[in-house]
Amino acid sequence: MSLTESLVRSEYATMTVALKIWRFDAATGERELRDYELEAPEWACLLDVLDLIKDKVDGTLAYRKSCRMMICGSCGMRMDGRAVLACKERMKPIVDRGHVPVISAMGNLPIVRDLVVDMGPFWNKIKAVKPWLDPGYDEVAEKERIVSQQAMNVIHKEALCIMCGCCVSECNSMESDPDFLGPAALAKGFRMVGDPRDQAEVERLNDLNEEHGIWDCTRCYFCNERCPKGVDPRDAIAKLGAESVKQGIDHDMGAKHAKWFVTSAKTTGWLRETELVPKTQGVVSAIKEAKFALKLLRRGKVPLPFPPHVAEGVEESRALYDLVKTQDRRGALGIVQGERALAKIDQEHPEGSGSGWGSRAQADITPGERPTRGKGGEA
Amino acid sequence: MLVVGAGCAGMRAAIEALDEGADVALLSKIHPVRSHSGAAEGGINAALGNASEDDPEKHAFDTVKGSDYLGDQDSIQVLCDEAPDDVYQLENWGAVFSRTDEGRIAQRPFGAAGEPRTAYAADITGHVLVHVLYEQVMKRDIPTYEEFFAWKLVIHEDRCQGVIAWDLLNGGLKTIGAKTVILATGGAGRLYTGTTNAYACTGDGMSMALHVGVPLKDMEMMQFHPTTLAPTGILITEGCRGEGAYLLNSEGDRFLKRYAPNAMELASRDVISRAEQTEIDEGRGIDGNVLLDLRHLGADKINDRLHGTRELSLTYAGVDPINEPIPVRPGAHYHMGGVDTDVDGLTSMTGLYAAGECACISVHGANRLGGNALMETITFGKRAGRAAAEWALTHTTVSVPPSVEADSERELRALLDRTDGERPWAIRDELALTMHENFGVFRREEQMLEQGRIVEGLRERYKRVLVDDKGDIFNSDLTQALELGFLLDLAECMIVAGLARKESRGAHARPHDYPDRDDANFLRHTMTTIDSGGRVQLDWKPVTMTKWQPQERKY
Repeated sequence: MSLTESLVRSEYATMTVALKIWRFDAATGERELRDYELEAPEWACLLDVLDLIKDKVDGTLAYRKSCRMMICGSCGMRMDGRAVLACKERMKPIVDRGHVPVISAMGNLPIVRDLVVDMGPFWNKIKAVKPWLDPGYDEVAEKERIVSQQAMNVIHKEALCIMCGCCVSECNSMESDPDFLGPAALAKGFRMVGDPRDQAEVERLNDLNEEHGIWDCTRCYFCNERCPKGVDPRDAIAKLGAESVKQGIDHDMGAKHAKWFVTSAKTTGWLRETELVPKTQGVVSAIKEAKFALKLLRRGKVPLPFPPHVAEGVEESRALYDLVKTQDRRGALGIVQGERALAKIDQEHPEGSGSGWGSRAQADITPGERPTRGKGGEA
Repeated sequence: MLVVGAGCAGMRAAIEALDEGADVALLSKIHPVRSHSGAAEGGINAALGNASEDDPEKHAFDTVKGSDYLGDQDSIQVLCDEAPDDVYQLENWGAVFSRTDEGRIAQRPFGAAGEPRTAYAADITGHVLVHVLYEQVMKRDIPTYEEFFAWKLVIHEDRCQGVIAWDLLNGGLKTIGAKTVILATGGAGRLYTGTTNAYACTGDGMSMALHVGVPLKDMEMMQFHPTTLAPTGILITEGCRGEGAYLLNSEGDRFLKRYAPNAMELASRDVISRAEQTEIDEGRGIDGNVLLDLRHLGADKINDRLHGTRELSLTYAGVDPINEPIPVRPGAHYHMGGVDTDVDGLTSMTGLYAAGECACISVHGANRLGGNALMETITFGKRAGRAAAEWALTHTTVSVPPSVEADSERELRALLDRTDGERPWAIRDELALTMHENFGVFRREEQMLEQGRIVEGLRERYKRVLVDDKGDIFNSDLTQALELGFLLDLAECMIVAGLARKESRGAHARPHDYPDRDDANFLRHTMTTIDSGGRVQLDWKPVTMTKWQPQERKY
């Protein structure tokens, strides 16, 4: 069969798709869960099904779309309560198990109509992280800067972000604090901080350490789980935290809290809970909590600070600390925060493979150095 | 001044205009980062010389030859000369290019290029460029009318003075006055069923220009990309072949040895698409496809440099290219034709400019080389932005007569108030299927004539098109109906131009009646306009030749 014949005949096997869509009428403010059932080709993804509904059933259904190939980021929405790209979700397996999915607009953003949300708050947060390269000079260079692939790999995943908003939709921190910068903006923040050509690292980290910044993330990992592009925003936030501590930017309670965990691990092998509050919140705040602390002590909920309660295998814990410290960004500095991340390092980037996570320190130029001038190949 | 469309060309134009001191705004029916420039995968061509000895002259010659000599050689020279600095500029702004071992911008071989000249960011080059340009737009705080659907150009006192647009989020027609307007609205791949193009690629700018009397050039030149996925035409990058992938027929044969024995898989796109279609038509395809085999590249190379391709193939074809060849076929990809402009993007209308795919400068002629489209958006986006800014800064007034708004409002209301008629989808699908059938990789006189009649019939039906949604807020039912109107206009231009070009050149292949290139009669551009009665008129324009005389084109 020729191309045109196969196209013209469109003889694809079809299936009956049933789904429910949360409609929202902006004019009246009414919400309604409506049922749909229709024939669709077996290759259809969720977006194709929505198109068929809009064409043949109800032209008033509103949703965004454009590329239908997972790169433009238009069609973020929820399927059964989890954020997806409509163009990425194949319907066949869902139909095969007789499931009727519920489609709704993304969370954490105001609904404009049906499946369309107001992305304004999303973009304002992206802009708030000043997401443009600061090379440290104004003039335009005559050539490209020399940067190793390994140094650029530091921001490989963050550069994949298509700004669809799926992570923001699922962010638990943002649900309780709508001003939280959120996973997409923070991943963009790391896209800049981790770029060896950028000269504003400290300024950026200071900004991102403010209230509603990196330490307000609850580490629920929903953003990593729901990102359709593998950006892993939570890992980016961890990397920002690590980079901040490394730069001595630790005024936030979150940073102090994290640092005390590390100190505990390398000194006693146990969490030194008694000192956690004064080390994190400060002495004054700790005194205010003294009554509560004494109560806990009396009930045996916390150990006495003295003598220090040292774990039996503390040497192992210290050795582990030393090990991860030498592993740089891949270790103590924070990337290894989740089992997924750990597994990825184990499988994809064996020690000494030269690929995978590099660090700014590994860049073979001083970041932001003025570009070399002259003919290609001479530098 | 106003830039309509916010992909690579539009954003690059707006950045340049602002830096020149103009008061500029962007207007786009989708958010800038959603633009289809972001779907470009393989790369951007500039003679940086990072992977071999290269220079702009070689780039220019490859482009002239690739265009089947229909490209204007002065424009091509401008593109190739300015390309390296424009790419360095992108890198300086922060584009995340892939790097060589020396830390320079990496370059890979691409079809019909004499040197490895295609700078790339893995297989997401367009995505990287769209995002870096948007970063620069944010840095400059360029005002952006997001989700505004441009519908008509305002012509007053014989010059373009603004745009009438439908505000998608809030509803209502809005008039935006501007001393200069740049069209950067992209292509019209949605004319075809199997297309790499996004739903947004409906030729809006081309059609708007046509309606104010600006000619469209070489509209018959629609490029078919050799490697797209069935059934919808999702793009599999030429970068695969750049990295060494093979094309096989059902017999496991690298059939290109019979069509392009030297360049093989790296011949130009028109040559490979015709070869594939011939194999498929002669029964050596597999369900209307041939096979793109990446297996010998190995998992590491595929994961490092073609990660996005693997993701697309897994999601949309259910095939892991590490283990299996990908079934691919030719699909409509890129419009070489478009709004006729000079090398600064200026059209025949004072105050109106065009850049990117919607323009025809012409650097691609009858066939575009992979990697030249992104480069064109940057270089000519910049030049159009500069020229439009200069004009805007030296001229003072803008006026839009109220009657223009009132007429548009009346026309729109008539459409929205219609309660009886035909929903757009059947017209749209029939247009796209028949264009594929009758105006595809190969073209026959009788099929083109038949397609002319079909489009005429569809235009009749379109007069009664029915919009279901009567509301103001996010009425995409309305905008999709308007987009269909744009597509129908363009189809007619393509058919008129295609019938007139009685030869085979580049993407316009007529093996049955005019199998050869005919330089004596057709080394010239088709120019289509519409007259006051709405009929398409044809004219011709000479090709600008500088130093390259036409030769036989072999790969």
